[in-house]
Amino acid sequence: MIGYSKGLVMEETMHSDGIQSADAQRMNIGDMSQQSRIAKQSTILLVTRKNNLAEPVIDYAVSVADRMNCKILASYVNTLPLFEDSSIHHRFFASAIEKNAAEFKKKAAARGVDFEYVQESGKISKVINRLCHIVKRVEFVLIDQGIKIEEAALGSPVPVFNIVCSGSRTGKMIEQRQTKTILNGEKQMASTSKKGYLTKTLIFGTLTAGLYAAVFLNSEIIMHYFTKGGIYALLPVATVFVFSYAHGSFTSNFWSALGIEGSKATITKKVEKSKTVEKRPDARPRVQANA
Amino acid sequence: MHGAGAEVVQFIDLNLAYVAFLIIVGFIGGLVSGFIGSGGAFVLTPGMMSLGVPGTVAVASNMCHKFPKALVGSIKRYRYGQVDIKLGVIMGVFAEIGVQVGILVQKFILETWGQAGSNLYVSVSFVAVLVIVGSFVLRDALKLKKAGGEGWVKPKIAARLQQIELWPMLTFKRANLRISVWFIIPVALATGMLAATIAVGGFIGVPGLMYIIGATSIIASATELVVAFVMGLGGTLIWAYFGMVDIRLTLLILGGSLFGVQLGAIGTTYVKDYMIKYVMATIMLIVAVSRFLAMPKYMNQLEMTSFSEVSVSVMTQMSFYIMCFALLTGALIILVNMFKARSAESALARAQTQA
Repeated sequence: MIGYSKGLVMEETMHSDGIQSADAQRMNIGDMSQQSRIAKQSTILLVTRKNNLAEPVIDYAVSVADRMNCKILASYVNTLPLFEDSSIHHRFFASAIEKNAAEFKKKAAARGVDFEYVQESGKISKVINRLCHIVKRVEFVLIDQGIKIEEAALGSPVPVFNIVCSGSRTGKMIEQRQTKTILNGEKQMASTSKKGYLTKTLIFGTLTAGLYAAVFLNSEIIMHYFTKGGIYALLPVATVFVFSYAHGSFTSNFWSALGIEGSKATITKKVEKSKTVEKRPDARPRVQANA
Repeated sequence: MHGAGAEVVQFIDLNLAYVAFLIIVGFIGGLVSGFIGSGGAFVLTPGMMSLGVPGTVAVASNMCHKFPKALVGSIKRYRYGQVDIKLGVIMGVFAEIGVQVGILVQKFILETWGQAGSNLYVSVSFVAVLVIVGSFVLRDALKLKKAGGEGWVKPKIAARLQQIELWPMLTFKRANLRISVWFIIPVALATGMLAATIAVGGFIGVPGLMYIIGATSIIASATELVVAFVMGLGGTLIWAYFGMVDIRLTLLILGGSLFGVQLGAIGTTYVKDYMIKYVMATIMLIVAVSRFLAMPKYMNQLEMTSFSEVSVSVMTQMSFYIMCFALLTGALIILVNMFKARSAESALARAQTQA
């Protein structure tokens, strides 16, 4: 509620100081400290790994920001900074981002939405975490296709939403289809992964069966060597390692193919728990050894 | 052959019944192991011996299946975020030392009091440890269950020990605790010694991790699998050096146990913390009864008692069946609770998507 009323005030200010706010929008953010000084309007953080955001995504983000009277901060994250370290790549990446950001800004400005963008590099969760701490009033995070929601959720103190492009060009249609596509996506994912498990089960099952057959059809020779002792002790040990891999993979995929997997609720809780543990060592006092 | 003695070791002939027996028992043992971190293997040694397998071959082949099973189980539970590798490896190393100490103690008793004396020592250790530790764990599990099962309070002993700053102090991220290595070593040594004596170190290892070191039951049971892997690998190399491993028995047991251990690991993600303690305690107490009934045989042999032959044979048979019953009970509790929790979760998920 507070954000909304503040937004109204901002809107009035924006209309009366039209030129000034345009100047504010024209600011490219390389320096994050500027961001914190700018208005206390809430922000929607939009994160992508690509160097351009698709048009429907831009339209959707702008329309949501407009309705919620929020600003948009788009973060183009280079998740492979070492790989694309060559200057040519870098420049190509950067110029593509600038173009995309300019287009984004135009669309945002058309609906009176504040837009800024940053180029970041590194892990998605760390980038989101950093940005959310620097930009104090992030309402929620929108992630583009290609980003795993679990990874984003790891670093985000606020809710994270997927944007799914269904091929339509208008923002409204995406919003309506979003939930459905996600649910369909999950259903699709479930059936494809079950198929994947079944295939793997068959592959490893055949491998395991072959290994068992090899051992038991040649049991006399095998027993002769495997019980010789001395250096031959490594034979049974090596054998069980091989069987662990083959049979272990078979049984794992077997249960997954049957749909018997770990509880998702517990596993996601564990992901959150590990966040707090990692912070523990930082809390310990450090000795400053400055002479 | 590098035999331990001059005798020729006999390896049994396998038939379909034996094969089925080994696979099934392997599965149930694996299921329990995957869930409580240990305890599946102890039925296998007497089980194999009842098929006619010589004692040393039974122990060796059992151990040779234990460490790959522990490996697969710990990998699965690692993916669920339950394994503290650092803690497991450190404990494993000291547990291995404990195993060697335990073997020396066994040897000494064997030389002093003979085979029967050795067997009695094993049984007494069994009963003492299982009753004491088992009752303690059961009391704790019931207390937690009454309290609603949610939340975990660090045990008093562990909390106090963790506060003692005795170099070197070690921090364990996954287990979320910080404690002096001097408190880890005795737990690990005891685990190894017990493993050498009754083939199950985890009955001290897991409670030790929970109550002395201060890990949750899920972390303790998962990390114990790493300890079991290290101990099992070390022990197997020694037994295999003496040519005692019957790889056919090992592979048959492994055939069943790798199914079971994965299922047990999956089960831990569905149940509350106290359930692991509950299953462990139940198994320990029933096995204690089983081992208690095995004692008259050795006491008679040492001429400490004079039960009739018939009663001794009845008690010995009952002892074996009760042990199997212990394992089956544990397995049943795990499966029932796991599938109950699973259907509850999927019902909830269905309700949420419809809403």
